[in-house]
This record gives sequence, C-alpha cells and structure tokens, in this order.
Amino acid sequence: MLEIKNMTKTYKGNKPAVEDLSLRVRAGDIYGFIGHNGAGKTTTIKSIVGIHDYEQGEIWIDGMNLKDAPLACKKIMAYLPDNPDLYEYLTGIQYLNFMADIYEVPVQVRQERITREAQEFGIYDALGDLISTYSHGMKQKTALIGALIHQPKLLILDEPFVGLDPEASLILKKKMHTMCEQGGAIFFSTHVLEVAQKLCNRIAVISKGRLIVEGNTEELTRDKSLEELFMEVVGHAQTDQAVDKDIPV
Amino acid sequence: MLRQIRLLTKISLCNLFGFNEFRFSKDEKKKGRYLLLGVLWCFLLILFAGYLAAMCYGLITMQMGEMVPAVITLGISMVTFIFTMMKAGPFLFDRGAYEKQIALPVHTGSIIVSRFLTMYVTDMLFGMVMMAAGMWVYSAMLQPPAAFYLYGILGSILIPLLPLTVASVAGALITGITSRWRGKNMASTILTIGFVCAVVIGNFRISSMRGEEFKEWMGGLAAIMSGQIKSIYPPALWLSEAMVYGQGGRFVLFAAVSAGVFLIFLAVLQRYYARICSLLGVNAAKRDFRMKRLRAGSVMRSMVQRELRHYFSSTIYVTNTLIGEIMMVLVSAAVLFVGKEQVESMIGMPGILEKAAPVLLGMLPAMMPATASAISIEGKQWWLMQTLPVTEKMVLRSKVWTNIVVAFPFYVVSVVLMLIALRPGIAGALGLIIVPMVYIVVSAWAGILLNRRFPVFDWDNEARVVKQSASCLLMSLIGIVMGVVPLVVVCL
Repeated sequence: MLEIKNMTKTYKGNKPAVEDLSLRVRAGDIYGFIGHNGAGKTTTIKSIVGIHDYEQGEIWIDGMNLKDAPLACKKIMAYLPDNPDLYEYLTGIQYLNFMADIYEVPVQVRQERITREAQEFGIYDALGDLISTYSHGMKQKTALIGALIHQPKLLILDEPFVGLDPEASLILKKKMHTMCEQGGAIFFSTHVLEVAQKLCNRIAVISKGRLIVEGNTEELTRDKSLEELFMEVVGHAQTDQAVDKDIPV
Repeated sequence: MLRQIRLLTKISLCNLFGFNEFRFSKDEKKKGRYLLLGVLWCFLLILFAGYLAAMCYGLITMQMGEMVPAVITLGISMVTFIFTMMKAGPFLFDRGAYEKQIALPVHTGSIIVSRFLTMYVTDMLFGMVMMAAGMWVYSAMLQPPAAFYLYGILGSILIPLLPLTVASVAGALITGITSRWRGKNMASTILTIGFVCAVVIGNFRISSMRGEEFKEWMGGLAAIMSGQIKSIYPPALWLSEAMVYGQGGRFVLFAAVSAGVFLIFLAVLQRYYARICSLLGVNAAKRDFRMKRLRAGSVMRSMVQRELRHYFSSTIYVTNTLIGEIMMVLVSAAVLFVGKEQVESMIGMPGILEKAAPVLLGMLPAMMPATASAISIEGKQWWLMQTLPVTEKMVLRSKVWTNIVVAFPFYVVSVVLMLIALRPGIAGALGLIIVPMVYIVVSAWAGILLNRRFPVFDWDNEARVVKQSASCLLMSLIGIVMGVVPLVVVCL
C-alpha cells in the first residue's frame, strides 16, 4: 500500500532530516513509526502526504508513484497532523461538507457518514458551531471525521492519540482495526510505546533521520518490552553514528 | 511597569518585518525574500521622501517656506492615521496575543502600551525619514537657526503619537461596540470601512477648493494655506511655528496635546481592555445542531465558497483589500452627484475623466487585490490545501475567482454610475465596461502569482501578511505602474 524507497530529505543549509529511508506498509498493516523528537518522523510523514518535496528516492502509494500521480495518490489516502489547524471560520458541518465536496463523496453517503461518525465521537451537537469555538480534542475529532469521509485506503496519522479523550482514543483504535480488516493500511507516528506495542503489527524505529529497526512487532519484542527495545536500538545507533563521525561518546 | 512594557515591546518588535527570522533562519531563499522586502520598503520610503522633498522645494520657491514644516507634519499625520485606522482594532485586541500575555504577571496597561508602541515604532521611523527629507531641503535653501533642528527632531518623534491615538480610539470603539454582537467580524469590517470612507470623503470636501480659492492659494497666500491646515489639523501648525519661529511654547503645546491625548486614551482603555478582549474571545456556541439535507457542489465552487467565507471572516483582510473597490464606487458616485469638474479638481487632474475614466476606475482595485495575500493568509492551515487532492492551478484559480466575485458588485455599480454621469459614446462605454474588468482580472492574477512567489505562513497577526508582506508591496507598486503609465500616455 505504501512503499518508501531510499528517500532522502534535506532542509536547506542543514544535514539530511531523513536519509536513505526505505520501508514498506502492506494492506492490512497498522504500522507504527517511532522515534525521538526531531528524529525525522514528521518530515517523513509530510513527504508522504505531499507537504514536503524530497530530493532522492521514491514513494509509491497503492502502486502509483507520488511524484508522477500526486492527485491519484491523495485521493486514496488521508492525513491527520498532530495539531490539526482547521478552517476556524467554518462551522464543523461546513468543513466536513467541504471535505466531502473535494473528495466528491455522494450527498447521501456523506450525510450518513458524517451523522454516524459525529455521533460516535460525541461532537454531533456542535457541528453547527464555528470550529474556532471547539476544544483541541473536538478539532482533532472533526479533522478525523474529515479524513475518513472518503473511506481512504491509506491513513497517515501523526501522533493521533495526543489530545484525544480516552473514549475517542478507543473509538479510533477500533476504527483503525476495522479499516485494516477491510484491506486498508495505517501508518502512524507515536511517542506512546505501549500503544504502539499493543496496536501495531509492524513497527519501525527512526533515529537522526535513519531507519534503525524495522519489522514485525511480535518478533522484535519477543523477550522485552518495546520501551526496552527502543532504548537499546537508539542507544546503539547513537554510538555508531558518533563513532562514524569521530565524536567522543 | 516600564520593565514589563520594555520586555513585551521587545518581544513584539523582534520579528517586525520578519527581522528575527531573517537573522536566525538558515533558509537562504527565505532570507532572500526578506532582503527583497527590505529593499522594497527602502524604495517606497525613498519614493515618498523624494515626493515630499520636491513638494518642499516647490513651496520654498513659491515664497511659502514657512509652511514646509506644517505640510510635512500634516502629511505624516494623515498617512499615519489612515494606515493605522485599518489595523488598530484587530492589532490592539489581538486575541491570540492577549491569551498568551494575560497569563503572565503583567499589568493590562503594559500590554496595551506595548502593542501601541509596536505600531508607533514603524510610524515613527516613517515620520523621521519624511521629516529628515523636508528638513534637508529647508536647511539647504533657507539656513534656519539651531532651534529648527531641535524642534524638528523632537517633533518627528512625537508626530505619530496623536494620529495613532485617534486611530486607536476609533479602532477600540469599533471593536468594543461590535464585540458584543454575534456577527462581530462583519460588523467591525463594515464600521471600519465606513469610518475610513467618512474620513476620505471629509478630506475630499476640505481639499476641494473652488476655482477662485485655488487661484488665491497658488498666488502664494500662505495665510490661506495656514488656515486650511488649521482647519484640518491645528497641531501641525503648532510644530511648524516652533520650528520656523523658535516658539518653545508652541512646541510644549504640541507635545502636551500629543502625549495628553495618549495618556487619557490609555487610562480609559485600561478599564475596558480585558472585558473587550474576553468578549472577543467568546464565540457563540449553541451546541444544538440538527442535520439538514447537505448540498453537494463542484470542487471549484466549494473552494471559492470557502475562500469567500475566509475573506469575510477577517476584518483586517477585508478593510485593507476592499478599499480600492470602495474608492471605485465613491469616485463614480462623486462624478455623478458632485460633478465631473469638481472631482477632477479634487484629484488635481483637470480633464482626466474625459480622457481616461476607465483607467482611473480600473487602477483603484488593481493596487491592492486580495490575491496578493490570499496564499499567505492561509497561515498554519495551508497544510490542508497541500494534502487535499487538488492541483496548485485549481487553488490559484479559486483565489482569483474569489477576488473577481468580491470586486464584481463594486465594478457593476461604479461602471453604471460612471456611464450615467459621463454619457459616453459607444466606444467610450465599451472602454468603461471592459477596461476596469481587465484591470481587476489582470491584477488578481498578478497578485496571486506574486504571493505564490513570496508566501509567508509563519505569522502571528494578519496585518503581517496583509500590510507588510513583499507580495503586497510589490503588487501595490505594480498597480500604481499599471495605472499611472496609461494615464500619462493618455494625458500626453
């Protein structure tokens, strides 16, 4: 569903933010992308969804090259950033209807989906109010409903559980499972390692822009917790990188 | 309290014109953009200063040298007032900044003064450059005594204080009155535009001298000019008398009125500031939604609809970009109701309407199209457009269409009024119908392409992109050239 091949992204005047990254997310995967602050998670995600350009490598979505067919790729995926800045001058329903127009969702379908999802997330009563009156969690729920309105095949989430209340987190986890059972795929970044361990069938750890571990969650964490694995591999990676550059550890 | 004011003002000023970003950014492209912005500002300042110096030279050669300081002071004050008026309310009562600062242990007065000072510093820099240009011409030609320089330098520091305070009072009143209303943004927009129109019309009426008056004025009667300035803005004469005749008392009066009005404003505003900011922060949330049948639209229609909602939700965006369209209607209405000759004498271009009415109408909305800041105004929400399945071309087209949709009613009204007033032949009528629309469309495209080239997404206040961005400044220059060049060609 998503394949990144040798991607390198460099910010101007800086060292690479992401270097030679390759990974593959298959249909049915819930793929956790883990790393420190500034490790390159958000840069990778922003490159996948078309916010950032990248200098080297390729990104393939459902068999389509992102650079060759950006619109077709965007039509089958959806993105939810860590801090969704939505159009505050629109009401919730205006925003969701706008998203449905952009993704060309039929009226009957959008009406039914918005009603169901908004009721499930507990924001139905507020749909007529301006988004500027919403709390952070309500904005995140609205953004999520907007992202799911066209039933994407690939869902890209950046720290999706930050700011969500426990009930909404549970609903989101169920939706992630349902989506994957139906043949979709989810790629998400997180700091919460317990969530990643329980939710993801595959994980990848990134440190200083480089992929250091990738694989099946169960296999990687057979005799330890994800937290222990993370500390171990990140520690090794930092030592290796320091040795490469002759920096005293 | 002084320490608080200093700290808050420093924070607010450190990114004025993007200076801090320019200083610390490692992105060479971004640095280049700020450099261009700086060059543009310098160019505009030199242009203004050159114009003012030429005017001072003219006055001195017409034996009216004693009027030079008064004319400079009046000019700086008018420019400060009109430009501040359109941003004072939204800037003083900026809700985002208020929420960040009110949690800190600072006085409300410090917050108000720091915001005021942020606006004051830019106006003061502008005033000082203008005053320096005028003083340079004056001193070279008339060799004034030392008091001229002393009062001139001190005066240039104080000149923006009074117009800035009056503009802030108007902005505070409008924001205060509308903060309780449900449609506060729209109400504030309408009131601000109404106020600016009233000032412009009032100024037109004062400056539209009859023929005999104009001859007398040109005849070198400085007293008439002095009377005119006195009726518009007496403090300009006080400073002028201090500079030209060394009257210290007049300077004290000027300084006392400027500072006194500001202090009264500060004392009154302190009492209501927190309440107004809180009211602005409270948006009516009914939480009683009932789903009606949704309506589907085409992608483009939906995007234009969203753009229109965005446009009319921002007072500062509307007031700064719609002013050209409003002037278009005002000029046409003036031609119809006041008379062609009278309007030509108001703008100081006799015979212009006969020769170039279509260009005159078209250049007004072309100077500040909404598209020149339409990309930057998206700010932190730009990620949505980047990730949705729409092409860049569609996004640009939706913004251009929005500009045209907004300008269209003003275009229709002004063209109809002008057609009735001028009663041109078929060719003239076609010119009146086609040329302004061509200006609107071309300037909308020029604006969006400039903003695409020079976007600014990291901003705290909309004034940063609507008033201070490179794309808006460049577009204003292009708009002026688009208007002035054909006018000169036609008139020659």
